[in-house]
Amino acid sequence: MKKQVRFVLRHVVLLLLAVIWLVPIVWLVVTSFSGYKGINTAHFFPQTWSLDNYITLFLKPDSVVQYQAWFTNTLVIAIFTCIISTVLVLMVAYTMSCLRFKGRKGLMSFSIILNMFPGVLSMIAVYFILKSLGLTNSHVGMIIVYSAGAGLGFLIAKGFMDTISVSLREAARLEGASEAQIFWKIVIPLSKPIIVYTVISSFLVPWGDFVFAKLILNSGISSDWTVAIGLYNMLNKSLINKYFSIFCAGGVVVSIPISILFVIMQKFYVEGITGGSVKG
Amino acid sequence: MKKKLLASLLTLSMVAAMLTGCGGAAKEEAPADTTEAATEEAAPAEETTEAAESTEAADPVANLIAATTDTVSLTVWASEEDHTLTTELLEKFKAQYPDVTFDIKLGSESESTAKDTVLTDVEAAADVYAFADDQINELVAAGALQAVSATYTYDVAAENVAGAVEAATVDGTLYAYPMTADNGYFMFYDSSVFTEDDVQSLEKMIEVADAAGKKIGMDISNGWYIYSFFQGAGYDLTLNDDGVTNSCTWNAEGAVDVAQAIMDLCATGVLVDMGDEEMATAIAEGTVVAAVNGTWRAETASDAWGENYAATKLPTFEVAGEAKQMSSYSGYKLIGVNPYSKNVGWSMLLAEFLTNAESQAARFEARGLGPANIEVASSQAVQENPAIAALAAQAAYATPQRVGGNFWTPAETLGQILASGNPDGTDLQTLLDTTVEGITAPVQ
Amino acid sequence: MMKKILNSIGNYFKEFGTAVAKGDIWVKLSLIWMGAGYIARKQIINGIIMTLLEAVFTIMCVGYAAPNLAKFGTLGTVQFEQVFDPLTLTSTVNDYDNSFLILLNSIISLFLIVVFVIVYIANVKTVYRLQQTKENGRHINNFREDIRALFNEKFHITLLTLPCIGVVLMNILPILVLIAVAFTNYDQQHMPPSALFTWVGFKNFKSLFTNSTTITFGYSFGKILIWTLEWAVLATFTTYIGGILLAKFINNKATKWPKFWRTLFIIAIAVPQFVTLLLVRNFFADSGIVNTICANIGLTDFLKKIGLVASHLTYIPFLTDPNWAKIMIVLINIWVGVPYQMLIATGVLMNIPEDQIESARIDGANSFQIFAKITMPYMLFVTGPALITDFVKNINNFNVIYLLTQDVFVTSDQMLANSNAKEVDLLVTWLFRLTNEYYNYKMASVIGIFVFIICAAFTLITFTRTIKGDKEDQFR
Repeated sequence: MKKQVRFVLRHVVLLLLAVIWLVPIVWLVVTSFSGYKGINTAHFFPQTWSLDNYITLFLKPDSVVQYQAWFTNTLVIAIFTCIISTVLVLMVAYTMSCLRFKGRKGLMSFSIILNMFPGVLSMIAVYFILKSLGLTNSHVGMIIVYSAGAGLGFLIAKGFMDTISVSLREAARLEGASEAQIFWKIVIPLSKPIIVYTVISSFLVPWGDFVFAKLILNSGISSDWTVAIGLYNMLNKSLINKYFSIFCAGGVVVSIPISILFVIMQKFYVEGITGGSVKG
Repeated sequence: MKKKLLASLLTLSMVAAMLTGCGGAAKEEAPADTTEAATEEAAPAEETTEAAESTEAADPVANLIAATTDTVSLTVWASEEDHTLTTELLEKFKAQYPDVTFDIKLGSESESTAKDTVLTDVEAAADVYAFADDQINELVAAGALQAVSATYTYDVAAENVAGAVEAATVDGTLYAYPMTADNGYFMFYDSSVFTEDDVQSLEKMIEVADAAGKKIGMDISNGWYIYSFFQGAGYDLTLNDDGVTNSCTWNAEGAVDVAQAIMDLCATGVLVDMGDEEMATAIAEGTVVAAVNGTWRAETASDAWGENYAATKLPTFEVAGEAKQMSSYSGYKLIGVNPYSKNVGWSMLLAEFLTNAESQAARFEARGLGPANIEVASSQAVQENPAIAALAAQAAYATPQRVGGNFWTPAETLGQILASGNPDGTDLQTLLDTTVEGITAPVQ
Repeated sequence: MMKKILNSIGNYFKEFGTAVAKGDIWVKLSLIWMGAGYIARKQIINGIIMTLLEAVFTIMCVGYAAPNLAKFGTLGTVQFEQVFDPLTLTSTVNDYDNSFLILLNSIISLFLIVVFVIVYIANVKTVYRLQQTKENGRHINNFREDIRALFNEKFHITLLTLPCIGVVLMNILPILVLIAVAFTNYDQQHMPPSALFTWVGFKNFKSLFTNSTTITFGYSFGKILIWTLEWAVLATFTTYIGGILLAKFINNKATKWPKFWRTLFIIAIAVPQFVTLLLVRNFFADSGIVNTICANIGLTDFLKKIGLVASHLTYIPFLTDPNWAKIMIVLINIWVGVPYQMLIATGVLMNIPEDQIESARIDGANSFQIFAKITMPYMLFVTGPALITDFVKNINNFNVIYLLTQDVFVTSDQMLANSNAKEVDLLVTWLFRLTNEYYNYKMASVIGIFVFIICAAFTLITFTRTIKGDKEDQFR
């Protein structure tokens, strides 16, 4: 009897917690179907339901909503960012994990500290460096901002590579393979989980950043924006009352692919971070 | 064995990359850029002077058209709500100069935040942009506005209302083209709740609204609005001659009564401190039946109250038992030209076009924005618009907005403290002293 | 430690000295013509590359570095001037100085010069070593062998070049610029291109610790630093503990459908942060939906009665009152952070050695004791470094604070207001608003340097231990 009470109680608590965690998400979803364009402050559920917000997003772009353009821009930026970032991360991680050379530890400490430095602090300098390269208001510039420093984020991947057994590499070396061949033919194939993790996590960066995107894409041409700035812009004082529910719809639409990727990634994330911490 | 050589080799590639990359580009960018622009513009200038001498010397616009051979690329910033109209106007502008190829891009930038984006990088800002007149000092100080030293299609100073021209002038130089004259605030109300007599005094309004179980909205924690109380009661806030710092008498003798009055008004719980967007929702939902706000909320209010939608000047409020008329800022929206534009001439012509009588009339028709053009403003349609009429009635008590940047944050905080009933219980005089210290602080 | 570093620096220059002193004519010629030594040893391609490098560097110096560095001392003197000709509608601009570009280009130049000097010294040493190799009659690599080495014993150089260029461009140079700006008067009154700025020494650092009636940076810095640290500790530990508890709760054998529950929590964090946070901000707005509900169920009145909400308010000031806002931010951060930590904790808990727990249970330990004596120490051991990383990340948790309070929270502390700060600001959001809204780049840079020092200190404490200990190889 007591056991049953505890069983029920346990699940009630879980349910309660789950509700707390899901209420804002539910609000996001239901508001995205609201017929009222502003913020509904009196009722949790919209009083009129409609698909208008989604129709505006995809079929009727106006001066504020250029969702399709934003989505394509972000997708392109994200694809290039994730390719470049992944390559850089793997290069650094392999070097730090599998190669031994003078100054390695110093370099590692240095890059870990540098990686802790939030980009926000030096964004003005980044902006003017990009400007003197002629890369402001260009998606190439955005890709550089998101991926150029990616090499610093090698720690998790390095932790993972540390778990790859040395004897495999030794054997290959005895057979006359060069370091480059070991990298390509042995370590990379064995690092699949961490590659998936790196790919997805760098893919997600452009979807969530509005600080750099806003600074660098500053021509005001809304069709050049990324999803994040576009949605952020909808909550401007002068727009929020006409676009809040569209913001919610836009939020739901970006969340779908991102959630899927996130769910795939979380498995590797856990593996990477725990593997990395045990070793590092 | 030759580790160092290889290190050097790679550094070479790195150095080379850096040189060909940022080095080269940066070098071109810096001073060369301007000389280039200068010579580029000087060359046709010479040509045209020659041409001008031989043919029609007096018509600069014709000169400009003759001197323009390449496509004219311009960027225009207007607020999102203005896009449909601006696109139409741009087409008309292009049609006016059929011999010139234009490539005009329209970007989104709200007039109220134009300064933020422009100042971050003036060179990257649009050639022609709209902004609210309170930003003019900072924009001029940052060199982000081209002086309107000559006009070509209409006389900006003569055709617009004096207040608008004054708002576009800094130190005797005209820096911008007035676009609208409605960026001030006044009182919206639901005439099914208030009578015309009720809205004469804030105390009466509170009483009536309280009886109806409704609220009155005002963004008290905002320097722009809280000014109306202090100025109304006769305490001054002015910009010093240096153009950046302020003089302020909000802590003078008797000013505590104003602070007390604001606190008392808020303590009723009927006058509610709320931001613009919250107010819009509250109006739409019917909880707020009167609001201190501007023409941009006219649509929200008339949608919500329908036939009962009304607007008037701000009411009086009681300071130590005496009724004082609330003051306000008169505000204007202006169009400015970026001096760093590659096509200053065309930008100026475009700015003139976007603010001429015809465009202002179109703007009123399309969006109900109050024109700054004297002729358009006196048209019957404009006169009959309740919001604009209210603004006109308030104009007698309004002052142009001339404040240095240090005003906003301390004033906002003062509003916040007063609206929340002075939770720390600070002595009001001390509170005002600190506020004034912040407002009048030198700019470091 | 210090001695070791000094020694290696000493050696570095000594080797260079030896190379110059004992080198033959070709090595000495390399001091002027960098390719000389290689060409003498028949490494023609290497020689050409080094010669080219030298040439490129010289051109860079003359054409780029010199004009900028010449103005580095003053950061420019020619003010922007423009003359508009109303007859032609054109304007002419003088050849003005842009202080920021001078600063930026000078820093890039200095960086390149330092890199070149290092290459130069290394070059002389290499050439000398070539001479020795030849004298000893050993084999000298040809170009193809050199390239091959880049994919073998020198593979780390090949791999690190590209990442290094990226990091220099996007991290190191911006940080150097940031540091330099802290010593200038670059602010809204001195904004290029229309105005010039110049060096002011340590004046800005002094302002940061000054607390007078007009400069309140000292006061604000102290207050914000304390809140930043409080926040970082609170945010890190609440989510960490919360995550472990939730993970244990879900993984417990008595819980049915653990996967289902886990997915529910993950959904909440899979939505991009800026969407959820902006949403939550409106959710808890003064006239938002939560307030409507609280008023309807009487919670607002109850809180008023017990004095948690000021009596004249008709709403709960979730994000507008300093104390409420701080608590709400921490709570919302729990909402955001716990699912992440739960994921990690789930992973770690699965690896926990079962036998230890079993034997403890046999010894009669209850589940709390097991948790405190076995689970927690194990968790801490495994996730310790990650915990410190989280702590540093929370110090710089821009998103949560900025998205929740921007445009919503108004400070009621005049001293903070005078230096454009708010009670809920972290150093990083304060800095962001100083640059973004007030163009006070000089003060923002000073604050930036302090943020960097704080973060670097915390990071160093954790990572030197793990890196130095070289446990890396033990586990394989």
